[in-house]
Amino acid sequence: MDIDKFREMFLTEAAEHLEVMADILLQLDSDPEDQEGIDALFREAHSIKGMAATMEYAKTARLAHHLEDRLDDCRPLGRISAVGIDWLLEAVDLLELLLDDIRNERTERDVETFITAIPKEPIADVSSATAEKRVDPGLAEEGFLVQLRLQETVTTAGARFLILLKRLADFGTILESTPSTEALLQGEDPGQLLVRLDSDISQEEICQRLQEYSEIREITFPVAIAEEKSRKKEPSGKMVRVSTELLDHLINLTGELITNRYQMQSAVKEHNWQAVDDGVGQLARLVKNLHHQVLQVRMVSLESLAGRLSRTVHDLSRSSGKEISFKVEGTEIELDRAIVEELTDPLIHMVRNAVDHGIDQCGTVSIKAWREQDQVLVQVADNGRGIDPEKIRQQAQEKGLVSPAQAKSMRDYDLFQLICQPGFSTTAEVNEISGRGVGMDVVKTAVERVGGLLLIDSVPGEGARITLKVPLSLAIIRVLIVECAGTRMAMPITRVVQTVEVAPAEVQSSGKQLMIHYQDQLLPMLSLRKILKAPKGSHLDPIPVVITEVQGRKIGLVVDQLVGQREVFVQRLPAPFDQVRGCSGGTILGDGQIIFLLDLQTLFERR
Amino acid sequence: MSKRVMIVDDALFMRTMLRDIFESAGWQVVVEAETGAEAIEEYEIHQPDLVSMDIVMPEMGGIEALTKILSKHPAARIVVCSALSQKDLILNAINAGAKDFIVKPFQNTQVLEVVNRVVTG
Repeated sequence: MDIDKFREMFLTEAAEHLEVMADILLQLDSDPEDQEGIDALFREAHSIKGMAATMEYAKTARLAHHLEDRLDDCRPLGRISAVGIDWLLEAVDLLELLLDDIRNERTERDVETFITAIPKEPIADVSSATAEKRVDPGLAEEGFLVQLRLQETVTTAGARFLILLKRLADFGTILESTPSTEALLQGEDPGQLLVRLDSDISQEEICQRLQEYSEIREITFPVAIAEEKSRKKEPSGKMVRVSTELLDHLINLTGELITNRYQMQSAVKEHNWQAVDDGVGQLARLVKNLHHQVLQVRMVSLESLAGRLSRTVHDLSRSSGKEISFKVEGTEIELDRAIVEELTDPLIHMVRNAVDHGIDQCGTVSIKAWREQDQVLVQVADNGRGIDPEKIRQQAQEKGLVSPAQAKSMRDYDLFQLICQPGFSTTAEVNEISGRGVGMDVVKTAVERVGGLLLIDSVPGEGARITLKVPLSLAIIRVLIVECAGTRMAMPITRVVQTVEVAPAEVQSSGKQLMIHYQDQLLPMLSLRKILKAPKGSHLDPIPVVITEVQGRKIGLVVDQLVGQREVFVQRLPAPFDQVRGCSGGTILGDGQIIFLLDLQTLFERR
Repeated sequence: MSKRVMIVDDALFMRTMLRDIFESAGWQVVVEAETGAEAIEEYEIHQPDLVSMDIVMPEMGGIEALTKILSKHPAARIVVCSALSQKDLILNAINAGAKDFIVKPFQNTQVLEVVNRVVTG
């Protein structure tokens, strides 16, 4: 028998089978209950086993046979677990390496470690009992997982991982590793190293320190199986997965910044101002790019949220017996993960409200997200009965939230905002009548916490629409800088409706309260100086006013001067300054000036 | 100040190549050794910042030499050089305390990456 000729044939065919397996596995990842896919996988593994056994490639046959057995467990259940898919993908990788060995006429590598390393839990089952068995409960509580993968070009994976294991031990205590040090010393060459590390060092720091190992292709911090279950309920954890591509971008940018620094240094030395000017231009471009890339690290799409909302609608529809269809648009929109986290519960709340109170028997709840410059708008709409402004007017008056005169003069838009008032929404009776109100104060608070705005509009009989307007990112935001009592301060642009300048003659008074005309309404005029307990300022003409919205009502905030808008990097204030009410952070301007960020919400609460 | 390195290899060719790589990156090659025994002696004299140690050498091999150096100077930074086929030897060397390893044939950049992180780490 011409062994060489058959070997070629075997290799080509087996490689094809493996390719098919990998494809099916990726499909199963999104649809784990695909019975046909599982059957196909089984057949592929079976084919490889048969061929390898004929060619007397014992280890390849052994692994393929093992795969076949495990897949056979899945077939009657008709589903495969996420852990199982990962394991099978690893097995496919190992089979590929075995084919490589055969191609290069090397001895086939060891497969027993891989086969025995995995507990014999059926990959078909993902029940909590088996999932928790995988990780020693004592260890599962401590530390976190670090997973390292090497570049394909690294030929001595085992030895490299040994070195990396030693390096990781410098960062803290290694609680366990797969493979273990012993297995690595015995010559195992795994595709990845999984380490449970107990360390005070942040994950970012670890990534940074491991950066000097160009052999590493990917560093991830997987969530343990037991933790993964809870993560599924909470789609956005504190973990950040960063693609190496993005990291490379960041590294390149940093490199360019260093070059830029040297260029500018020498330009300054030579008094070559044209070159300095060019350098500054380049710096601006680099920083903008860097800003963009760094933000990208924290961005997540609304996709995960859409799944949960769709589930909520599905459940509500079942429990209420109403026929609800659910529409989602714009889930590809990306937001800072902290904002997505903060919005998750409010959105569920709003969807529930729409189903419970907005829709009678059948209707549609739709969620739409879109971007407007550096803001993201998320809208929850229904085509139900809508909010009746008259009933709100009546209720608000009865609750003493507004005076009869105020109630009469209030526009529908402002009335709707009243349902977000804590005093308004707690009454079950009101909810019944208005069809809204359950926890809307909670929703509004959450939105405002991330520097956003909540807008409600509704047409009786046609439905209600609630729009959340939030910034793209929490760290870098656009602010309006104002001056008041000799100090500059900033407020998030998302909180600003408009800035206007009013002639003193246009100011009216209603009792003690000064009012200004804004569009066709009268808004109360409040002085920022007064709120900040600063001495009275000199007479201004025209008066700079920031129209903003506080607790559902528009007001005009008088400042000394409107300075301008800019993007700033907001930092938390260190203790004890974080205790200062009405101030949510600070930022340093180019000239070294520190500017505090006003938190209008709490500023007015104090009053 | 430039970093000081000792090159241990029985082949003149390898020593020359490594010397080139180190010197091109501003290192100072303080001494070269051809055997493990020589390496131990020279280490005592020069106490370099880094040792690049071949594993397979006549008389005394690299693993024995590095074990002996480390027993007296536990902080010694020794990087072993070995061919890919000697995987087990590399593993033994790491187990014996080698800080990192370089696989032959190597590229200048790889060597420098490894030695730089060993001396800074």
